[in-house]
Amino acid sequence: MGTILKTDKLRVEYRSREMRQATKIALAGLDLEVHAGEVFGFLGPNGAGKTTTMNVLLGFVQPTSGVASLFGIDVRQPIARQRIGYLPELTYYYKFLTAEELLRFYAKIFGLTRSETDQRIDQLMKLVELEHARKRPIRSYSKGMQQRVGLAQALINNPDLLVLDEPTSGLDPVGRMKVREIIQRLKDEGKTVFFSSHELGEVETVCDRVAIINQGELKAIGRVNEIKKPHHANLEQAFLEIIGFQNSSTQPAP
Amino acid sequence: MKSSRTYLLLVVAFLVLSFGLAADLQPQFRELRWSRADGDVFAVLLGDSRKLFANEFYTKADAYYHSGFYPTIFDNNTAFKTAHMAEDTGAVHSNNHGEEESFMGPPIDWLEKFGRNFFPDRHTHLDEGGPADDLSGSDNVREILPWLKLSTDLDPQNVQNYTVTAYWLRQRMHKTDEAYQVLLEGLHANPGSCDILFELGRLYAESYHDTNRAENVWAAAARNWKPIKGDDDTAAANNFIYEKIATQLGEAERTADHRQSAIDWFEKAQSVSRTPAALQAQIDDLKRKLAGAAESAPPPGLKSQ
Amino acid sequence: MKNIIAVAGVVIKELYRRKDFYVLFIVTILICLVMASVNIFHDDKIVRYLKELCLLLVWISSLVIAVTTTARQIPAERENRTLLPLLAKPLTRTQLVLGKFLGCWVACGLTLLCFYLFFGLLAGTREHMWPVLNYFQAIMLHWFMLGIVVALTLLGSLVFAAPSSNSTICFVIIGGILLVGRHLDHVALTLPEPTRAISQAIYFAIPHLEFFDTRDLIVHNWPLIHWEFWGLAIVYALAYIGAFLTGACLVFRRKAVN
Repeated sequence: MGTILKTDKLRVEYRSREMRQATKIALAGLDLEVHAGEVFGFLGPNGAGKTTTMNVLLGFVQPTSGVASLFGIDVRQPIARQRIGYLPELTYYYKFLTAEELLRFYAKIFGLTRSETDQRIDQLMKLVELEHARKRPIRSYSKGMQQRVGLAQALINNPDLLVLDEPTSGLDPVGRMKVREIIQRLKDEGKTVFFSSHELGEVETVCDRVAIINQGELKAIGRVNEIKKPHHANLEQAFLEIIGFQNSSTQPAP
Repeated sequence: MKSSRTYLLLVVAFLVLSFGLAADLQPQFRELRWSRADGDVFAVLLGDSRKLFANEFYTKADAYYHSGFYPTIFDNNTAFKTAHMAEDTGAVHSNNHGEEESFMGPPIDWLEKFGRNFFPDRHTHLDEGGPADDLSGSDNVREILPWLKLSTDLDPQNVQNYTVTAYWLRQRMHKTDEAYQVLLEGLHANPGSCDILFELGRLYAESYHDTNRAENVWAAAARNWKPIKGDDDTAAANNFIYEKIATQLGEAERTADHRQSAIDWFEKAQSVSRTPAALQAQIDDLKRKLAGAAESAPPPGLKSQ
Repeated sequence: MKNIIAVAGVVIKELYRRKDFYVLFIVTILICLVMASVNIFHDDKIVRYLKELCLLLVWISSLVIAVTTTARQIPAERENRTLLPLLAKPLTRTQLVLGKFLGCWVACGLTLLCFYLFFGLLAGTREHMWPVLNYFQAIMLHWFMLGIVVALTLLGSLVFAAPSSNSTICFVIIGGILLVGRHLDHVALTLPEPTRAISQAIYFAIPHLEFFDTRDLIVHNWPLIHWEFWGLAIVYALAYIGAFLTGACLVFRRKAVN
């Protein structure tokens, strides 16, 4: 199974704007490998470094040291992003465009021909169940519909790797279910999905492998069952133990 | 339901209070000296500051007279102190000095030299055809009129606006009736203004060929004229208008063969003139003619001031 | 190039789907028509005041459209987070900057065409003169001037985070250049050192936008500008556009997008 995504001793430091504050280490030598065709869950508490990792992978942030590559190409090369789709968290797409125009715009960037674009838009609108609203301006969309448009734009180039940052955040149960279904269908189509989430139940359902990071360091990586096994618990409890969380309500009184 | 009725009643009560106060205060407000309520729209909006705008628009009219070739506050504007459009009417005395063509001076760097290709760079006058090569005379001078009108509306006490507007309307646009109307408006805003009366006399004499009326108006202008002491521009301008009125009256008397009266007017003009020698020749000529006809009684002339 | 055009296309769509342009265009038409209906001594051939007013409104509108449209481009992309999916595609930051510039510039050009068309009709119907070449020179100079303004504002939008502060600063700079840029060298001569040297340096460094303001020539029917000087002015504008865009690309390249 080929490696699609790889990070090697990836380190990111943010220099504070305030002179007195220390440099913040967002990633401290992260080693990660995602293989073709798997759904990979990237877990961690808020501020653990999940989004920073994605930002490096997508070329938004330059690593302080270490290497990140997609399909064996350094992420700093724009061509590395030719075969990926990315769905960021909480994005408000151009309100003055319709869903169809938005997808057409992104398709142009990928260099799709007109017929390919038409065909792809039809498929995606069907996939994300927005056929009825494809000619409506995005400003009239609900949050769930906007998220589905986001998913459609991430898939416009029929990517081999899909990077999803909290894809179900802020969605109602029906919306979440639909997103999960889409991820499942992509998995069935053999796509690689790399996604971060706080919804551990969801991760448990759809992921082949997961990685857990905390404070920029990789704490655990492996199949969901392998992660759960040593802790004799469900994924949520295993996750809490791995990141070293101690619930004060369960602590014995001194 | 109850609360919305209370709010409604409150609104009505406040409206009644407002209308009552307005009805009570309005007459008192109108009597206040600083009230702008009775002024025109410019007075209400701008107050006395409208005179500053009026001056700007007057200058704008002169800039239009030059088809945009005009000094800015950064340039040497000694050659543009008196508006050329007014100077050319003969209504005002020139205070201009220096070279009109080169108020910008030579360019001091290549950038400035290059930049001069993008704005009017030649001294022209609209009544001579503007920037066009054909200087055969043009009625393009009409283009200064909107700015003069605006300036007049903003500052009705500036008599030069009326006289300059009337001159160009009459001389170049052949709109005598409009010019007449402008002068009447000017007189209404500035009763007894000798500048406006002088221009009105010219209009009667030159356009309506009504010399009697013209002389009467000039005589009224001469009566209304009051000397201003001092050596400043205001005094000089005041003397200049009297010189022109008296000269016109002198000319009128000479034409009517009232030599003594003509001499009197020319001498009055000479008394305030910057160039008395030019008038002396005319006075000498009249005196010679008068001496030649000593036996005949001097004709009854107009009463001078 | 196709990426740049794709980005530019979205910017153009944004401009004509927002209300700014329509509001300014309608206000310009209304003011001009009201002013045209004013009776000035029963002379309906008076036109230059109307041309000047119309051109003034065109200039103000075009500057407002250019600065406000450009200033919000990249900050809005950041705020709405649309920058992320965009840069996650095979689109370089340089292409994004160039696309935004091209979009804003072309949008300004289309706006100018509408405005000048109205201006031409207004002036032509009253003057019965159609100096097409003079108008062509004026529109092109105006458009290239807007190119400088757009590039400058784009650079500002990468330096200053808030579009409002960027717009204000750009308006002050542009207004200052248009009003006193031409005289700065003469003013410098009256100043003591080192203020003189600084003023002279500023004089040579700033883009002289006033070169492109040919309103007086158009209003007063002056002859054509020599084509040689006109061409040089275009090249001058292109040089500044290039400089500001290079600066914008450099600033953007180093900026973390998260």
